[in-house]
Amino acid sequence: MSRFFATGSDSESEESSSADEITPKATGTTFNKNKEAFTTNLILCCPLRFRFEELTNIIKTIRNAMKIRDMSKCLEEFEQLYRAFLKSKTIVDKEGVPQFYIRLLADLEDYLNQLWEDKEGKKKMNKNNAKALSTLRQKIRKYNKDFETEIASYKENPEQSAEEEEKDDIGSASSKSDDDDDEGITAKSLMKKKPQEEEKKAPEASKFLKGAADEESESDDDEDSEDWGSDSVDSGGESEDNEGAAASLAVVFLKKAQDGDKQHEPKKDGRRKRHKKIEQVEEEVDEDGEAEEGGWEKVKGGVPLVKEKPKMFAKGTEINSAVVIKKLTEILQARGKKGTDRAAQIELLHALSGISNENNLGQGILVKIKFNIIASLYDYNTNLAAFMKPEMWKKCLECIDELLDILFENNNIFIGENIAEDSENLAISDQPFRVRGCILTLVERMDEEFTKIMQNTDPHSQEYVDNLKDEGRVCGIIDRLLQYLESKGSTEEVCRIYLRRIMHTYYKFDYKAHRRSLGLQGETKSEQDQEESEGEDSAIIMDRLCKFIYAKDRTDRIRTCAILCHIYHHALHSRWYQARDLMLMSHLQDNIQHADPPVQILYNRTMVQLGICAFRQGMIKDAHNALLDIQSSGRAKELLGQGLLMRNMQERNAEQEKIEKRRQVPFHMHINLELLECVYLVSAMLLEIPYMAAHEFDARRRMISKQFHHQLRVGERQPLLGPPESMREHVVAASKAMKMGDWRTCHSFIINEKMNSKVWDLFPETQCVREMLVRKIQEESLRTYLFTYSSVYDSISMETLSEMFELELPTVHSIISKMIINEELMASLDQPTQTVVMHRTEPTSLQNMALQLAEKLGGLVENNERVFDLKQGLNRHNFISNHLNLSFSHTDQKGGYQQKQNYQRGGYRNQNQSSY
Amino acid sequence: MASRKEAPSGKSLDSPVRQIQIEGLVRPHHQALQGSEVVQGVLLGLVVEDRLEITNCFPFPQHTEDDADFDEVQYQMEMMRSLRHVNIDHLHVGWYQSTFYGSFVSRALLDSQFSYQHAIEESVVLIYDPIKTAQGSLCLKAYRLTPKLMEICREKDFSADGLKKASVGYENMFEEVPIVIKNSHLINVLLWELEDKSTAADKHELLNLSSSTHLEKSLQMLMDRVDEMSQDIVKYNNYCRSLSKQQQQKHQYIQRRQQENAQRQSRGEPPLPEEDLSKMFKPPQPPPRMDTLLIASQLSTYCQTIKEFTSQNLGKLFMAEALQGTSSYS
Repeated sequence: MSRFFATGSDSESEESSSADEITPKATGTTFNKNKEAFTTNLILCCPLRFRFEELTNIIKTIRNAMKIRDMSKCLEEFEQLYRAFLKSKTIVDKEGVPQFYIRLLADLEDYLNQLWEDKEGKKKMNKNNAKALSTLRQKIRKYNKDFETEIASYKENPEQSAEEEEKDDIGSASSKSDDDDDEGITAKSLMKKKPQEEEKKAPEASKFLKGAADEESESDDDEDSEDWGSDSVDSGGESEDNEGAAASLAVVFLKKAQDGDKQHEPKKDGRRKRHKKIEQVEEEVDEDGEAEEGGWEKVKGGVPLVKEKPKMFAKGTEINSAVVIKKLTEILQARGKKGTDRAAQIELLHALSGISNENNLGQGILVKIKFNIIASLYDYNTNLAAFMKPEMWKKCLECIDELLDILFENNNIFIGENIAEDSENLAISDQPFRVRGCILTLVERMDEEFTKIMQNTDPHSQEYVDNLKDEGRVCGIIDRLLQYLESKGSTEEVCRIYLRRIMHTYYKFDYKAHRRSLGLQGETKSEQDQEESEGEDSAIIMDRLCKFIYAKDRTDRIRTCAILCHIYHHALHSRWYQARDLMLMSHLQDNIQHADPPVQILYNRTMVQLGICAFRQGMIKDAHNALLDIQSSGRAKELLGQGLLMRNMQERNAEQEKIEKRRQVPFHMHINLELLECVYLVSAMLLEIPYMAAHEFDARRRMISKQFHHQLRVGERQPLLGPPESMREHVVAASKAMKMGDWRTCHSFIINEKMNSKVWDLFPETQCVREMLVRKIQEESLRTYLFTYSSVYDSISMETLSEMFELELPTVHSIISKMIINEELMASLDQPTQTVVMHRTEPTSLQNMALQLAEKLGGLVENNERVFDLKQGLNRHNFISNHLNLSFSHTDQKGGYQQKQNYQRGGYRNQNQSSY
Repeated sequence: MASRKEAPSGKSLDSPVRQIQIEGLVRPHHQALQGSEVVQGVLLGLVVEDRLEITNCFPFPQHTEDDADFDEVQYQMEMMRSLRHVNIDHLHVGWYQSTFYGSFVSRALLDSQFSYQHAIEESVVLIYDPIKTAQGSLCLKAYRLTPKLMEICREKDFSADGLKKASVGYENMFEEVPIVIKNSHLINVLLWELEDKSTAADKHELLNLSSSTHLEKSLQMLMDRVDEMSQDIVKYNNYCRSLSKQQQQKHQYIQRRQQENAQRQSRGEPPLPEEDLSKMFKPPQPPPRMDTLLIASQLSTYCQTIKEFTSQNLGKLFMAEALQGTSSYS
């Protein structure tokens, strides 16, 4: 036989069970496909084998221990087994629980129970063993609960297992001795087993082309059972192969005749044996040394696999839509079941789509299949937290793109979630296609997957950049779907896709529009053309989309998100008033705490962006107010969804942490935290320093910004003050300068190389912001100066002030006037001489103290009255603790309450006056 | 400065001492008086009729850390014995203490004066304010505890009820005893001579117009006291509240118990055994009131000083104004 055939037969041998019906088509490409198949096999096999081998080894030891009744050994090994099983969890998840494992569990339990009942034996047991027995019994009982169904199903056909049990030893012996020359038999037996298995659990044997061979193989059982028993060990790996190769099953039919041969004369056909040998060579490449398996294969028997074997079409079957649909449903039935290989399923679906395409079965079916391919791509990861592999992701994008292509090309396809399965119209006919499925959901899911991928990529790696490049495609898909839905979808769907679009737009700064607004045209003519052709400004898009949502949306959430994104976008582009008005109109501040966390994060982001916008516009107070909540908590990072705080690790468990991780905003959407803090601190400085200067003696002075004060204190605590390094130190140093009214130093601390590179250069209109800042610093320094040093001056010329602070005279004039009007500065302006004349109205320290005393006394009186009220309330004529009032007035105990009160008040006032 | 006579206060004192006569010798003997430390010492003299004549004194030695085992009593005895040897009155009649801005009313003063008065009935405490004296007005006052306060101190009952029963307010804690200073002729001669020699500036210290530092200090201290007082009140308030709450609980409990008993009686069962109510409802610890009383007293002293000071200063200010007016006219 040619090598070609040999390979073919290899794949056939596996195929024979899994897909006996072969499509006549694939023949041409067989060879290549085969190659492909076994390279993938190779990859898939290795970890699987390794794990299972480990398991089987342990199981063998356990069985041995059982035989010699060594309970402690048993327990030890069982624990090891349990751990090994956990390790192989991923594979088990994919493959289903291996039968040999279940069998061991069942047997072990039976055995233990038996031992337990045997009181005599127990008595004879030594202490260690007895203890181990009881522990093990409890453990296995608990553990087996997880596998109840499997064990039950195993127990249903115990005779089979018993048979295998017997064979075990024989099998091991024979396979060991035969290792070298009997490979053929192993391989053969491998083939043998499949049909039988197939028969057992694929009742639809009618399709089974090898129906005739069935009896044969059954009869073979007796002779071969030792082999096939051992074979089932491999079943996990093999089935993988089967499915992996499913696409390439084309060859199989070629082999059928030979296959039949094989089964007719299983033992003696020397030629076949030779052929098998060749096959084996291939197999070795493929399966990584099947021969070795002999050692562990024998341990278990061939309990039928609970596995759906996908089948392709039989030769000669007329491929029409009905058949394809049937096939499709067949494949889909396996979906979600344990032990379904999802990768293989995807392959199958791809193959199916290829088939339907080649047969021109119409777009309906194609669309349907595409839907399912995408769905199973999403299904590939069972774990919600895991993200798609890059190749899967690429495939997914392609599929969606293709699907959209089809949908655009064919106007007569209706898709929708509410189209019932049976009212679908997939066949080519005059009627339009009707397909169940929702492309919007798929795209939304795709978007989420994209976010997930971005979340899980290291943001500082090249990989992140590469992944980010896909955003263009994602946006493209969303855009196309948007167009599609605008013509076909319901308003609700349009709202949803609009929101997706908005979500991809709102955080991006529109440099194009920015440049245009600055009046900068493209350097060259062509660039300008390109700019123009690139479409509308993001602002206009946002406006259009958001307004549609405001008008049409009925779910509150989408509207909330749209508003927030809209505000964010406005703020990002320095349209402060629009952003602020929208925020105020939305009244989101009142009820945002009831929203779900992602929306809250969005709200926080919006607030921060709003604050930064206000800062750029020079609205320091607004900026401060907007940022206060986020910054004062000290958890800005967490609140913006830009990272988890380590400190409350103990407060949340792993589950919560996972949830929180899923909420994180991808790195490219982050708001620079240092910028945020700097903006906040500078705003606080501009507000707080003049305020502090104005209220130096005020006992009730409150802090505007706690955080700023904290930073100041940290700065003060420094034993040695070097030149500022960090952003915070710069701000603290600047604040100190400002306190003295030294605006130049302050300016040089706030705006310098370091701060530029750290903060200010991050703004789009760097220059404007810097100019605004300088001006603010000058103004606030002037105010601080006047507050601090007004007591030193009798009068001061405004011209001098304007020189000192490099402000124009009118500005100085207006600032001073404002201060006078607000009664912050006790002075008057002398017009002819352009001077400020100070009035001494500030209380002296003695007066201040007297005021303080008066306040304290007020508190004292209040307290005292409270005591008195209490007494009064109790209606007890007790001693009234009145020695305090006595400092003001003499009250004897018999004095009435009313009179005393009057006394107190009067006395207290007099006291104040006298102490001035 | 000739001997000055304090106007005897209108109150009739029911103590054995109605007047104190101080020899001029007694006063200026402390080097450390100008320092901020409080100095104390023993007064010696004898009682003549209802007049306590203080004829001599000696200071307690300043304590230092290294002679902790110094025996004060021994020192006093030694001192008095020595004085007797030189034929000076050696009867212990009280003690003296320096003060600043009138802050002398304290628990310590109360306690030591109590023990003095307990042992030697006629003993007094002399309070001397060096700063004020330096400013030109002699500030020397003699105080005794009132008999009522003596009573309370003896019983050590400082609860609110106890104070109420004794009807002790802040104003009748201490009684001031009028002081007469009597100098020997020799001293008078010396004083005359000194006055001749002293410069005008020294003499007119009294007319110093600056008042704010003194007032500020006084106010500061007054404020501190007020704070303390506030705290005390709050404490007392809390106590009253918890007391009344407990009273209520107790009352409810008793009522419930009575009802239950009535029911049991109607059913013919024996009543529930009496339980110790005081054990179940332990009354909260009443805060001691004596401190509050002392603070109040101190407050009133402060107010007194400030009042005195301000009235004096006002007079000076008017005088200065008048002087300025005439000088500007001329």
